Amino acid sequence: MKKRFGLLIIALAVIASLFLPGLSIYVHSQLGAETAALFPASVSTWQMAVHGVNCLPVDAVSALGVISFSGWLALGAALLLACSAVLSLSANRKLNGVGVVLAGISLALAVTFAIQIGNISSSLLFKLMFTAQAWIYVPVAGAIVALVYEALLLRGTKEERAHLSLSGQRPPLLPENTWRLLMGAAALAAIVCMLLPVYSISVPATLTDDPADAAAINRSTSLISAALGERDMLNSYKADGRFSNVISGDIGQLAPYSGDETNIKGIFQIPQQSGTQKPDTMLIVAAALLALTAVLSFLRKADKWFPTSLATLAAISLVVSLVNVLTMSDADMYTGVSRQILHLGLGTLMPFAALAAIAAAFSMVCGVLCIRAADAPYFVNPIPKRSQLRLVAVVLAVLSVACILLPGANLSFYNPGKNKVGATRTLSGLQALSLSAPESISHPASDKGKTLYGETEKEGVMNAGQVEDAMNGLTRTFGLLTWAALALTAAGIVAVLMGRRKAAIALFLGAFALRALSWIMLMTGMPGALGTAGGTLYLYISLPLLLFAAFFANNANEETLPKKYKLFLMMLPFLVAVFLFAYLPLYGWSYAFFNYKFGIPLNQQEFVGLKWFTEMFTNPANRENIVRVLKNTFGMSGLNLLTSWMPMIFAVFLNEINNTRFKKSVQIFTTLPNFISWALVFSFAMCMFAMDTGIFSKFMLGIGAIKEPVVWLNSSSHIWLKMWAWSTWKGLGWGAIMYLAAISGIPVELYEAARVDGANRWHQMRYITLPSLLPTFFVLLMLSISNILNNGMEQYLVFQNPMNKQTIEVLDLYVYNITIASGGTTLYSFATAIGILKTIVSVTLLFSANFVSKKLRGESIV
Amino acid sequence: MSKANKIKIDSKGMELSKGDIAFNIVNYTVFALITLACVFPFYYLFINTISDNELVRLGQIQLYPRGIHFQNYVEVLKIPGIVDALFVSVARTVLGTVWTVGGSAILGYLVTKQEMWLRKVWYRLIVITMYFSAGLIPWYMNLRMLGFMDNFWVYVIPGLVSPYNVILVKTFIEGLPPALEESATLDGAGYMRVFFSVIMPLITPILATLCIFSAVGQWNAFTDTMMLMPSGKYYTLQFLLYKYQNEASSLAALVRNTQDSSSLANVATKQTALSVRMTVAMVATFPILLVYPFFQRYFVKGIMIGAVKG
Repeated sequence: MKKRFGLLIIALAVIASLFLPGLSIYVHSQLGAETAALFPASVSTWQMAVHGVNCLPVDAVSALGVISFSGWLALGAALLLACSAVLSLSANRKLNGVGVVLAGISLALAVTFAIQIGNISSSLLFKLMFTAQAWIYVPVAGAIVALVYEALLLRGTKEERAHLSLSGQRPPLLPENTWRLLMGAAALAAIVCMLLPVYSISVPATLTDDPADAAAINRSTSLISAALGERDMLNSYKADGRFSNVISGDIGQLAPYSGDETNIKGIFQIPQQSGTQKPDTMLIVAAALLALTAVLSFLRKADKWFPTSLATLAAISLVVSLVNVLTMSDADMYTGVSRQILHLGLGTLMPFAALAAIAAAFSMVCGVLCIRAADAPYFVNPIPKRSQLRLVAVVLAVLSVACILLPGANLSFYNPGKNKVGATRTLSGLQALSLSAPESISHPASDKGKTLYGETEKEGVMNAGQVEDAMNGLTRTFGLLTWAALALTAAGIVAVLMGRRKAAIALFLGAFALRALSWIMLMTGMPGALGTAGGTLYLYISLPLLLFAAFFANNANEETLPKKYKLFLMMLPFLVAVFLFAYLPLYGWSYAFFNYKFGIPLNQQEFVGLKWFTEMFTNPANRENIVRVLKNTFGMSGLNLLTSWMPMIFAVFLNEINNTRFKKSVQIFTTLPNFISWALVFSFAMCMFAMDTGIFSKFMLGIGAIKEPVVWLNSSSHIWLKMWAWSTWKGLGWGAIMYLAAISGIPVELYEAARVDGANRWHQMRYITLPSLLPTFFVLLMLSISNILNNGMEQYLVFQNPMNKQTIEVLDLYVYNITIASGGTTLYSFATAIGILKTIVSVTLLFSANFVSKKLRGESIV
Repeated sequence: MSKANKIKIDSKGMELSKGDIAFNIVNYTVFALITLACVFPFYYLFINTISDNELVRLGQIQLYPRGIHFQNYVEVLKIPGIVDALFVSVARTVLGTVWTVGGSAILGYLVTKQEMWLRKVWYRLIVITMYFSAGLIPWYMNLRMLGFMDNFWVYVIPGLVSPYNVILVKTFIEGLPPALEESATLDGAGYMRVFFSVIMPLITPILATLCIFSAVGQWNAFTDTMMLMPSGKYYTLQFLLYKYQNEASSLAALVRNTQDSSSLANVATKQTALSVRMTVAMVATFPILLVYPFFQRYFVKGIMIGAVKG
């Protein structure tokens, strides 16, 4: 019981915060010391609630009188929180439940109050005068803490739960039917709240020329009517000239205080929207969902998962709309007169929007509790078939992964300098994964294809470069959050499958939070001058999916996964890597059929069919090059193939050396060159074969083999032989190791028997050692035949220079030279076509070699 | 085994014929020459880096060092970027090796598990990648698309699955007595537990071999740097070496910039483009020469296992 006093302390703290400055007055020096002297240093929430706008120096600055705000919201929030805290002291769980409801209402009031004060203090008019203080958020935080804490209290203390679990099934707080009715009632309450006003505009009669105009403007608007588009009915008033005299009216008096008169005028530059404002579909959908929830919940036999899911969706859309309807930023200057007026403080916010969201959330919670309290199975009821729930959780999570990858962001770009949306683009999670903005949003074009943002810099208008930067930043944030959400969801799926219930819940809820965060980051990340950003349906749908995945995971049993799947899951990361790095590149083969240009998505590239393949043979220049390159490739591979017996002979003769130490040393030192890179080999070559300083020239001159220094490296003569010599130098000792190992496997008895029969050393080598090595030789020969086209490029790359390029360029090097090395991208498609043919030939050769091997030796080599 | 026996037989008094003696002389000589050819370049490069730079420039240093000094090494480390490149090379070698060998070990163990769902399908999917490649451009564009341009991790992450290594580990594990693993499983150990406490200690020989190959491969690679690091971030030592060989003029400028006035006076230790190239090459070779004697004994074992196919 001791812990429950904690809530009382929180309630007291919230009440105390009312007396702390909620709005600090900060008069910008621009407005002058005289004005500053008129204002108090700060205004407490209490003062705002009790005195209303009179807490400001209305006598001195009469224009301030036009502001109105409902301070009673803060008082109400604190009061309800206190009541809730008192109720939580009781041990009666039902009373505790009432406490939770009160805390929820308190939250709605506190949120509305905080939004309103935040709006006023950040509006263009008052930006230079007021700053909202963190204290106005204390009631919000207090209500959230109370809500969570009391909900936890409802579960009972640890000891109580331990006791109850010993005595068997824990009785539910309320019977299933009561929960069901509560769910319906909460849904109805949410609908009622949606019908009640969210804001009421009260314009002083002096604002307009004719008091009747002002009276016509004054109105209260509910969420529903806002959803149907009434938000912007005021547009028509501009046509009537009702706002024509605003600047000279009361608002005009405020202009000097804003420090920027043109901005004030700007606020009332009411745009002539072409056509009507689109209704807010999300709110309409939310209302419909709530109505369905209510109907379904009152049907006793209907499955309760459906209304619960619907209520969840409704709650989420309501929260989204709540933020959309109530908060304002400079970006909203163009989106509606009502909001502009509210922005100026010429109206009061009502808590009913927040209450609607809270009620919908309560409806959802009641639905979940109803299901948990049920004692008879529903359609997908968890109670009898817990094992299936794991599957349900996984399916939901997989669906949410799909939603995460689908278009999640909706970006509207304004025509620069106009108040019209010029283009609407979407950004999918998949696109964002690369962390750089796709072309369509980094360089948005209007729907008619005209470029929206020019290259040149103009004041107040973003240019193309800035737009690109902004969009890249936005995409990076969105992409990182998408990566993280994907990772958490994937980990959650694994956790569910592994039977780690708590980890799964935590991971799914984490993914949920990240999704919500990515939505918030989207809205705030879009520069107001550029347009607006929001989530698409897929983003919103992914939220309840993840939430429900967590719910289901919670109810799933903790049996571990069958072994075969467990092993597969362990293997999965590796398979993903194989897919990413070995199979995904195959997608690039499609470049061969396009006229590939860099930076354009594949579906907008020009399709050219087999052009690049025929080009190889029909275009004389290309044909010449291909023939030359193939000649080099076959020539140098062929030389290596012809001498592929050398390591074997090396091993056979090395085996004849009886001095173990000498043999070992030979082996060690001849293997060494295999372990240095071709770049290093080339360094050696440069030093030793330098034209006049290298030891090779000196030596040849010394013995009189040549008369004058010869260009060894920078010439194209005998380049195939030189390349062969280097690869033999590097690979001979290494190649022999396998044969040496094979020799050590030959039974000694064979040699002994041969010697007894009078075989000499030559005979032993010829008839015993060599034949035992032939199978190994054969396998290696087959493999190198199938690799005849893949002679790599490192060696030829380092030895390549303008003099010998014609004769050293092998296929791989040619592909590199015409593409990446040349810096141009025009031949990417051509190079890909070459690569495709090369792979096809190599694979064919490999299978032929394998076939030959099977025929001759009855063993396959692959 | 065979050699030991043969020595015995020979020394037991099997008379060496004249032909045998002639054969031995020729054989020993040829192998001595081959060995010399393999070792001499290393020696030649080394004596050139520690000799008087003026004599080196004139081509006077051929068989033994003259005017020994180590200024070249001191100066080379002052060239901007060299120490960074050394660090990148070491980092990619260490991280890349741990990642590749660790991945191959775990994957090699997993694919031995008959009870895995669709094991054969996955195993074939992995092995088949050994025999085809998408080609240079698709490979390049793929890494680009995945955001690996100018990204250090391109040296490490794509190496997770190397089919050849997986086959080696798998073959090795299949050669172990299954009873060991069974008893551990009976004691209640999970797959990972079995892997780390039973399998891992037994497969260290093959892992050591893989470590060597992977580390040498990582240390020596330079074409990936050349293609995937256009901005010059994360250059490796090998790539710098390659670059220096191709850019004599810029190298000379680089050398001039790093020279301080005092050393300008001394011709013997003055850096030339040639001396810088050779010294960088030596710096890139030393690590290999240093560890070579230790890992040399693992070759044969690794090669032999490699010969047995999966």
